[in-house]
Amino acid sequence: MFYYPFSLFVLMLLEPLYRDAIIFSSLLTLLSLGLTLTFLTTKVPNFCHGSLATLGIYVSLTFDKVFLINVYYSLPFAFLLSGFIALLQYILVLKPLSKRGASVITLMVATIAFELILLAALNIYADYIARIFKITSRYFFLRGSDFRFANQQGLLFVAPLIVIIVSLTLYIFLTKTKFGIAMRATIENPSLAGSVGINPDLVYRFSWFLSGGLAGLAGGLLPLSFIGNPDTGSFLLISIFAASISGGLFHIFGGLIGGYLIGFAEVLGTANLASLMGTWVIPYRPVIPLLAMALTLLLIPRGITGLSFEFLKSGNLWRKLKLYF
Amino acid sequence: MAQIEALFLIDLIATFAPYMIVALSLNLEYGFCGIPNFGKTLSVAGGAFLVGFLPGRLAAQILGLDTSKYIENNAKIITMINNALQTNLLLSLSLLILTLFSAMVLGAILGFLASYPAIRLREEYLAMTFLAVGEVMLIIGYNYPELVGGTLGVSVPDPFVWAGKYRFLLITIFMLFIALLVFIYLQLLTKSPLGRLLRAIRDNENAALAFGKDVIKIRMKVIILSSAIAALGGALYAFYTSNVIATAYQRVSWTFWPWVMVILGGAANNLGVVLGTFIFVAVRKFIIFYKEIFGIYVPFDVVWLDMLLLGIALILILLYKSEGLIPEKPIKTIEIHRNQSKMSKIES
Repeated sequence: MFYYPFSLFVLMLLEPLYRDAIIFSSLLTLLSLGLTLTFLTTKVPNFCHGSLATLGIYVSLTFDKVFLINVYYSLPFAFLLSGFIALLQYILVLKPLSKRGASVITLMVATIAFELILLAALNIYADYIARIFKITSRYFFLRGSDFRFANQQGLLFVAPLIVIIVSLTLYIFLTKTKFGIAMRATIENPSLAGSVGINPDLVYRFSWFLSGGLAGLAGGLLPLSFIGNPDTGSFLLISIFAASISGGLFHIFGGLIGGYLIGFAEVLGTANLASLMGTWVIPYRPVIPLLAMALTLLLIPRGITGLSFEFLKSGNLWRKLKLYF
Repeated sequence: MAQIEALFLIDLIATFAPYMIVALSLNLEYGFCGIPNFGKTLSVAGGAFLVGFLPGRLAAQILGLDTSKYIENNAKIITMINNALQTNLLLSLSLLILTLFSAMVLGAILGFLASYPAIRLREEYLAMTFLAVGEVMLIIGYNYPELVGGTLGVSVPDPFVWAGKYRFLLITIFMLFIALLVFIYLQLLTKSPLGRLLRAIRDNENAALAFGKDVIKIRMKVIILSSAIAALGGALYAFYTSNVIATAYQRVSWTFWPWVMVILGGAANNLGVVLGTFIFVAVRKFIIFYKEIFGIYVPFDVVWLDMLLLGIALILILLYKSEGLIPEKPIKTIEIHRNQSKMSKIES
């Protein structure tokens, strides 16, 4: 009897649908955490966040097919490359623009311009390696390069593990370290933080680097389970936005909650609808995050982390109930 | 040789006209009212898909053809319709006007739906919603073959088929004429008191609110109007290319490019936007025209080089010439003495 939860877990592992859901939502969480982080600090939604992940996808491909090294060894490089590009985007584009007093719309357009550059660069790179090394660089799939553990795909364990490590580290970093507390102070009030000797610019640079790095990490793992293409990241952008918004853009762990919520809703929702209404539903998968996003914006615009859960505390709940009875 | 150059010029203008309409409509939203519409492709694709869906079926019904397998027998049905339209000028023109009108209505509805969830929220939310919603039309068009033939696309009846070999010239002139009408309309609109209200909302929303203006309602109306105009542009483009395929209406070509045109030309200046559109389209056409020559030297498709340069150019414009080629000009209002005489009339 006591092993029932354990057997349920094994059953979940056996059901391929849940495996897909776990992998997809873990990767989505890494992406939406980064998006929420940059939105919190610089107050601009990064429209090229998806393409930063695509950079990671191509680092993976290069390691696997050109250097013939296991994909997992490419992860640090994917992290560094995407982080560096995101940092570059902040230093070269966003910072000079906001120094000139550019509006949020202008900053958003600038991230779109950067998206164009990244998309073009990725396509050029894909063409280039396809021509030089004679490998498939579009619509590729690296599932075969993954290791197997307990008769399951390795990514099934690695992806949630990375999310756990990243969120724990982020939590400890933001609450226990000096720089993390300085970062939270900058998020709350940049000018006040500046007046007590915190360098907001350093905080911004760090958050852009971290955000890009997490996107690169997610991208590096992505081709192990999904099809990689120069525009994979751009297509994922809708899900990333939906995850960040439904989790709440004003709290760093909004990305965590939203990522799992939207990821599971997308994978399980599509599969259940398909079994209910027929397979024609499957291509309309992006509509699910979209609906979730629209509903969140209409009902709780600040997202789940923006909700007030004060009433759940024992005293408050009791007081509320007394009001009614 | 002259023939090729003439064709090149016609093609240039024919691409320029629909983009001019879309860029002008974006200018009304972004330039004058500060609405970050990153989902322009939704209404453009809406208009184009309506052209793929409606006029063929309608004409087939009128001519008494079997429409039960419209997509499967598309080529055959369209050929029969075009044969009939060759002699039937009235039917062609009424088909054209009816389709353009319903495309505008559809565009207006799409604009309303796209902006509804986030219209009351901050512009970041609105921008993200627009971008996400913008993909919907493409997904539907690509996966639901009954609409525009899915992956294969559909042909469209040609309402200018009676012009014979002057067909391209005629439709180009027609599109340019419509674009000019849109330009004049928007010029009048933005020079009117309403135009000043839009700028007031853009520059200081709270001030506009304090003057008793319903900012959200006006923003919504602007989005609806501009989406209708953008759908008109999409519909015209579909008639020009005489076939519709969903993949042609992607985020990059119908949202990001119009943004580049508006910012290059100068936001909140219609003439500037027209100039920006022309420069953009001309440069791209030249790159495509001389693609073979470039193609020898680089080991990838030149299209991507063109996109790379575009992104860099956009960032440079934002950094060093953010007001665009022709900056926004102060609004010309009624001269002061005339105003004063009016005032005295009211007072007396």
